[in-house]
Amino acid sequence: MLKSPLYLLLISACMVALISATVLFWFLWDSSWPYWQAFGISQLWAPEWYPYESLYGLLPAIIGTAWAIFIAMIIAVPCGLAAAIVSSEILPRFWQGWLRLMVELLAGIPSVVYGLIALWLLLPWLQNSFDLLTGHSLLAAGMILSLMILPTIMLMSYDALRLIPIEQREAGMSLGMDWNQCLLRILLPQAWPSIRSGILLALGRALGETMAVMLVVGSMDRLPQPIYNILEPAQTLTSRIGREMGEAAFGSMHFSALIACGLVLAVMAICLSLLAQHHKPAVTQ
Amino acid sequence: MKAVLILLALPAILLPLACFVYIIIQALPALNWELLMGSNTTSGSLFAGTAGTGHGLWGQISGSLLMMLLACFLAAPLALSIALFHALWASPYQQRMMVILLQVLQGIPPIVYGLCGLIVLVHLLHWGISLAAGGVILALVILPLLSSNAIHALERIPIAQTESAKALGLSVGAVIVRVWLPSAWSSMLTGLLLAMARALSETAPILFTATVFSGITWPDSIFSPVTSLQTHIFYLAQEGSNAHAVDMAWASAAVLLGLVLCFSLMARLLRRYEGAL
Amino acid sequence: MSQLLHDEQQQGNTQQTSCSAPSSISLKELSLELSGTKILKNVSFDLSSAGINCLVGPSGAGKSSLLRCLTLLYDNWQGKITMDGIAIQSWPKGADALRRHIGLIAQKPSIFPTSIYQNVIFGLSRQERKQDQQKWVEACLRKAALWDEVCNRLFDPASTLSIGQQQRLCIARVIALNPNVLLLDEPTSSLDPRSKQLIEASLYDLAKNIPVLCVTHDLEQAQRLQGQMIFMCDGKLIETAPTNDFFQSPKRLETREFLRWSVCNCDE
Repeated sequence: MLKSPLYLLLISACMVALISATVLFWFLWDSSWPYWQAFGISQLWAPEWYPYESLYGLLPAIIGTAWAIFIAMIIAVPCGLAAAIVSSEILPRFWQGWLRLMVELLAGIPSVVYGLIALWLLLPWLQNSFDLLTGHSLLAAGMILSLMILPTIMLMSYDALRLIPIEQREAGMSLGMDWNQCLLRILLPQAWPSIRSGILLALGRALGETMAVMLVVGSMDRLPQPIYNILEPAQTLTSRIGREMGEAAFGSMHFSALIACGLVLAVMAICLSLLAQHHKPAVTQ
Repeated sequence: MKAVLILLALPAILLPLACFVYIIIQALPALNWELLMGSNTTSGSLFAGTAGTGHGLWGQISGSLLMMLLACFLAAPLALSIALFHALWASPYQQRMMVILLQVLQGIPPIVYGLCGLIVLVHLLHWGISLAAGGVILALVILPLLSSNAIHALERIPIAQTESAKALGLSVGAVIVRVWLPSAWSSMLTGLLLAMARALSETAPILFTATVFSGITWPDSIFSPVTSLQTHIFYLAQEGSNAHAVDMAWASAAVLLGLVLCFSLMARLLRRYEGAL
Repeated sequence: MSQLLHDEQQQGNTQQTSCSAPSSISLKELSLELSGTKILKNVSFDLSSAGINCLVGPSGAGKSSLLRCLTLLYDNWQGKITMDGIAIQSWPKGADALRRHIGLIAQKPSIFPTSIYQNVIFGLSRQERKQDQQKWVEACLRKAALWDEVCNRLFDPASTLSIGQQQRLCIARVIALNPNVLLLDEPTSSLDPRSKQLIEASLYDLAKNIPVLCVTHDLEQAQRLQGQMIFMCDGKLIETAPTNDFFQSPKRLETREFLRWSVCNCDE
């Protein structure tokens, strides 16, 4: 008797969630439609973005996003992985728990706080050491992003390493393998699927991070000159949305173009999270 | 190899910690009771010098907390329903689809939710920049997190336990209330606390849908704009030349950090307690 | 000793020959203390020639810890362990090189998540993997009595094997390194009778060439394996004797008690 009302209640709640998500994303598509209709898909690689002259090329922001993420990953992946290995394989058991707790808490620090720190510490430092006009640059954005995604990478890799039973390590050792060989031939291959999805998750987070990037990237809508110049102000997709959303009138082409930026972001993020799930669990037996 | 790894790992562990300590040091001079409880009603325009950077953060704190509570009230029942549906009636295929969908939603940048909310809630539904819009958007942001936590919490209950309860002739409702909730409540609460911390720290989605810079201590209705700590930090951070504003920014950051850590620390402690059971 | 050095020089060449030189291990006054508890108290014995040695005793007697000391998985023990006259703690090329000479097989099989074939050659270094590797793998699997069951699915994941087969795979993996001594920690305690029988048979064969030390709490198994019995209790060595003497005319009171009741009290 109880089943049917409960069932109806649950299914309707699920439907509410599903429908509201769908409606929101449908409007995302719908509002950006004028933009796609007017300029077409080729705007993705058009290099000019001047809203006042109706030039809405997305390439500078996409390049900026790519650079920021690339810098962040280059710093965060080796450091995070090393931190995970050190804390799971070298540190004594007692400290592991505390370190994990600490890193978990660090993962929860709001991004705007990181932005504040970057603005206050990182920018002057960059300004002095590279002799820049202001510190605002892709490098700054990448560095602060790396700090923010470190905990994600470290936690996922740490958990993956801890999940490998101690017998595996001992089996390796009794075959005469030294510490490095155990690490490279037993531990890392087995933990790799989880580490990989940790890295992809972190990539997604770096992609969508707004506040910290917005504060330090400088919001300059043009391609880096030359393209590998990461010391100049630039723009990422998220920082553009954050900066210009307040100015764009609802219904205008500018608004529509910004929504299109959001759509591009969402599509990239969806691809990343689909990639991240595509793995089998690493546990044996 | 070991040495190289340790060398690489050191900044990863020390730098975030240093940041944390730095915030506390910066904020200490500005932090006091009056700051927390004082309201900031000095009216004035955003760009007129010290105006808007008054002496209290109570408005911002209450705004943040209100929005967080609204989001949780909206999202928690939905998440619970989704988890129960997942556990009770979904076929294996549906279960898999639900998990994938939740992960995809979780991966979408919060600012995209903000955009969606701006179009639908603020403009099409004419809610305007409002507490309600912020709450709904934050609810959507935390919904995937909450749901997957709740699903995991229910999955961890041993099947044998459920089956023996059913073998005693308990109805579905009784199984939920008498078997599932007692063993899953703590991990669900952990999930809720984590989601609260998340809702408190999200800034981008509410930046142009729910908050204004100053002038509001307590919103008149659910459809009026609010101030929040997160966005307050952002606005103040941009007034780099104003020493008072910078002080206030650090103080706000410390308060926000305190609130967020409060929730996430509670969650971790609860998880530890649960692990000890 | 000279034999050993010779082995190390020509690692890989000698490897292809079917048997390695037997080594002798001797323990003198071995004591071990872990977090305040004395696990081993002045244990001394020798494993000299080829043959099976069964280490028996009630649970908690320190049998497994003894094996872990011998392979330096524990290295905070006191006393002296020598292999062919060299103290193992100061083994020329370190603990890792030592472990290649002392094969240890754990109670529960712990296979690596790759193919059966890869598992067998997992411990070999790159120089040691060479052209007729396939034959070597076959020889090892045959010695571990696993070849007939896996010969046509060598490249399947090792996790598809049963637990008994996995344990034999672990033995093959260790044999592939040509150890000079083989240590087994209750290798058959959770296996099916068929695997138990096969493993005992292959131990019997292996023991023709090298000393084998098999920890067991299964007295029937010890009787079947024949050889030298080593009886430990509460971290102390109580008695060593050939199997038949041990079971028919035990000298010590504790041994008699253990044989009758499977328990042992040796408090001072």
